[in-house]
Amino acid sequence: MPVIPADLVHLEPSLSVEQVQQRLLSGQTLLSETSDHLIEVVDVLKSYGEVLDAYSINLIYQAEHQFLNPLPIFKYLDGDLNPAKIWRHLNHDRINFEYAEYCQKAMFWHGTGGLDAYLDSEAFAANCRAIMAAKRRRDPLLALLDALFPGFAPELIRSAATTHALGQFWRVMSDLFLDLAAAEADGRVRTIAQVVDFIKDGLVAAAANPIGYGVSIGDEHLWVLPPEAGLTFLVDVAVPYVEAVFLRGMPFLGTVSFNAQAQQISPDQSQFAYGALYADPLPSMGAGIPPSLLMQDMYRHLPERLHQWYLQRTRGEGDVRVKICMSFQRSMFCVTNAAINGTMPHPLDTAERTQQQANAAYALAWAKRLAAARTDCLTA
Amino acid sequence: MLLSLLLLIPFGGTLLLLLWPGQPSPQRLRLLAIGILGLQLAISVLVALRFDPAVGGMQLRELHRWVPGIGLDYALGVDGLSLPLVLVNGGLTLVSAVITRDIDRRPRIYFAMLLLISGAVNGAFLAENLLLFFLFYELELIPLWLLISVWGGANRAYAATKFLIFTAISGMLILGAFLGLALLTGSVDFSLTPVLSDRLAMGGQLVLLVALLLGFGIKIPLVPLHNWLPDAHTQASTPVSVLLAGVLLKLGTYGLLRFGLMLFPEAWVRLAPALAIWAAISVLYGSLAAIAQSDMKRMVAFSSVGHMGYVLLAAAAGTPVALLGAVFQMVSHGLISALLFLLVGIVYRKTGTRDLQVLHGLLNPERGLPLTGSLMIVGVMASAGLPGMAGFISEFLVFRGSIAVFPLATLLSMVGSGLTAVYFLLLVNRAFFGRLAITPATGDTSVDGKLDVQLAPVAPRETLPAIALALGVVLLGLIPSSLGHLSESATTALAQIGVGIS
Repeated sequence: MPVIPADLVHLEPSLSVEQVQQRLLSGQTLLSETSDHLIEVVDVLKSYGEVLDAYSINLIYQAEHQFLNPLPIFKYLDGDLNPAKIWRHLNHDRINFEYAEYCQKAMFWHGTGGLDAYLDSEAFAANCRAIMAAKRRRDPLLALLDALFPGFAPELIRSAATTHALGQFWRVMSDLFLDLAAAEADGRVRTIAQVVDFIKDGLVAAAANPIGYGVSIGDEHLWVLPPEAGLTFLVDVAVPYVEAVFLRGMPFLGTVSFNAQAQQISPDQSQFAYGALYADPLPSMGAGIPPSLLMQDMYRHLPERLHQWYLQRTRGEGDVRVKICMSFQRSMFCVTNAAINGTMPHPLDTAERTQQQANAAYALAWAKRLAAARTDCLTA
Repeated sequence: MLLSLLLLIPFGGTLLLLLWPGQPSPQRLRLLAIGILGLQLAISVLVALRFDPAVGGMQLRELHRWVPGIGLDYALGVDGLSLPLVLVNGGLTLVSAVITRDIDRRPRIYFAMLLLISGAVNGAFLAENLLLFFLFYELELIPLWLLISVWGGANRAYAATKFLIFTAISGMLILGAFLGLALLTGSVDFSLTPVLSDRLAMGGQLVLLVALLLGFGIKIPLVPLHNWLPDAHTQASTPVSVLLAGVLLKLGTYGLLRFGLMLFPEAWVRLAPALAIWAAISVLYGSLAAIAQSDMKRMVAFSSVGHMGYVLLAAAAGTPVALLGAVFQMVSHGLISALLFLLVGIVYRKTGTRDLQVLHGLLNPERGLPLTGSLMIVGVMASAGLPGMAGFISEFLVFRGSIAVFPLATLLSMVGSGLTAVYFLLLVNRAFFGRLAITPATGDTSVDGKLDVQLAPVAPRETLPAIALALGVVLLGLIPSSLGHLSESATTALAQIGVGIS
């Protein structure tokens, strides 16, 4: 038998379906309540908030100012073409906007919720025709491409619509996470339960925010996602985002590989479980999940308290991205926890039996998906 | 006097360490040993600078009568065959001292033994007198036995005793051959003069040569005399393994060329076809045995068995190109095997295991041993003979020089070279690629993917010697003319002895 040094390899227990369901129904947080967890979650969300701010600004810039640009080589510069900024960009002293694009593509590809439904509607097709009519007059290359490949421009406009919607979603989340850090700093938030409630309240407050997107072509203003589409923050963008990025994701090469020929990847896209909550925190340094690039971005904005906390653990600075990823997963479980609590069909303290059963069924559906995720990070 | 310095410095250093007053800390002793070995390496380099590569014979000779009655002279000299090995010895003993860490038991004796071995090896490579060579050959035996049996692994007593018995038999056979030479020729001339039929009949030559072949065959080691080596390596500490593989095995191949081919050229030509087949068997056996290993260190040890077979093949062929290849192979194997043992040692120190069923994904950039893994890939590429590295030029020269003489044995050895890629890719694939783990894989990605592996990081200074060796391996591969320039005259002269006879 091989000798296995026990102190080098740790395997934390994962939560079972019943345990996850029980935590959701009892109002207990998924993440266990410890002071270390509070530091990790609040501080990592603070750095995440700062990164999301940059992501959000860039996604909205791309959707509005790089709209239908066939060669968007300056798309990450937010319109600032200062040579010093270009040099910093080339020298990789910058935010990895590729991760934001990865999330946009994941949302676009999985295509769930009201936004995706609207992108397939006749109203949206009419918007596209109006936009292309205006664009063709000014852009001969696009006019030629549109004539040759009629499906090309609408697909780019769909992608731009998702990009803008994600930018709007992250605008709200960025502010929410920075507010959370401020609330923790002045003592209004002291526990994980309060963190989850704070996020839930933020999500509920923003739930009905309208999602709209228009572009200017020449002196014309044309709607891509008009107000009359009735798209709102929570159900049309936030929930599809959680579905696409937290839960489904995309199979990735790297530390864990999946063999499509051996049918290790489900042919049913809705069964995918490669999202951020399932990711192996060991980095593969790809653009997607495991979110190595996001870890790198958050590392640049790490609060000093969390940085010191990391320095005292395992390899200190050496494996800081792995530790950020572990903290990030804990914080994303808190966000998921808040979203589930916020969308629970009935209050948890209801006395009515049918409502309790509806809640139990809702919690069970979530528990089945979450129990396969990295719930080992919740107990550690 | 320059060559005597190469003995004086390590032997004087041994005495200095043993007699150093007070209780110096292990760290201070280590620094002292590193200083002495650094000086020795500097003198070795000075010898190389004073050496005239155009001359095929011995240079910088020193001759003093010591015990004339038994033919023992203090006769030192250096040629293109011994100079590269003296340099390798200087470099690798220094590496061994540098990578020695955490010696808490008897550090004074440990470093003294290291210096003693280095001096003895220098003496053996520089000796121009058979008895003087034998003295130095035996002198490294006891220190090495001590290094294994005192500072070795759990089963060190068994491995050290096995090593002692095998090597003692090797010494007896070599001494027997040298004394037999005096007995059969009736003279006490122990100089390096070729023994031809006018001095000794072929039967006598064959007997003596076979004794030498067996003696040095144990040291190299060649199959089936290799049995001691994997155990010795497995139980020896990393610095000792580096020294054993990088330097001490070369005593065997050096002896084969210097005292087999050079001393008995006529008998050598008779036995050469059998030796070539022996070499091919050794190469194939070593490679196949390496494939079957699950202990990384045993795998590298068996690869040594295989790779040293190339030297025998080249020596059997005896062409100028093959013999130059033999020198290249000795040097490149010295560097490559030292690098591999050093890296296996780092893996073992950090993970506590060398088991290929247990180690996975060590190349992981944040939680694994990425620099160690990268250097390991360089090492195995070099060992597998990838162009641009030392292993390629050595094997190419050996095969190029041997194929016309012994096509079958050379082709079989080439298969062995291909097998090197097989077992080292197995090693790299199992231990360094995939998801990081230090446990047997369950096959369930949902379990294996959740392992939280917390290895201590490898400090950059711990990998400096490995980086230096890797650079050496690449430099020798890219600029083979450096070594070729030093050795070509000597190996051509050596080849002409055989040609003249045949």
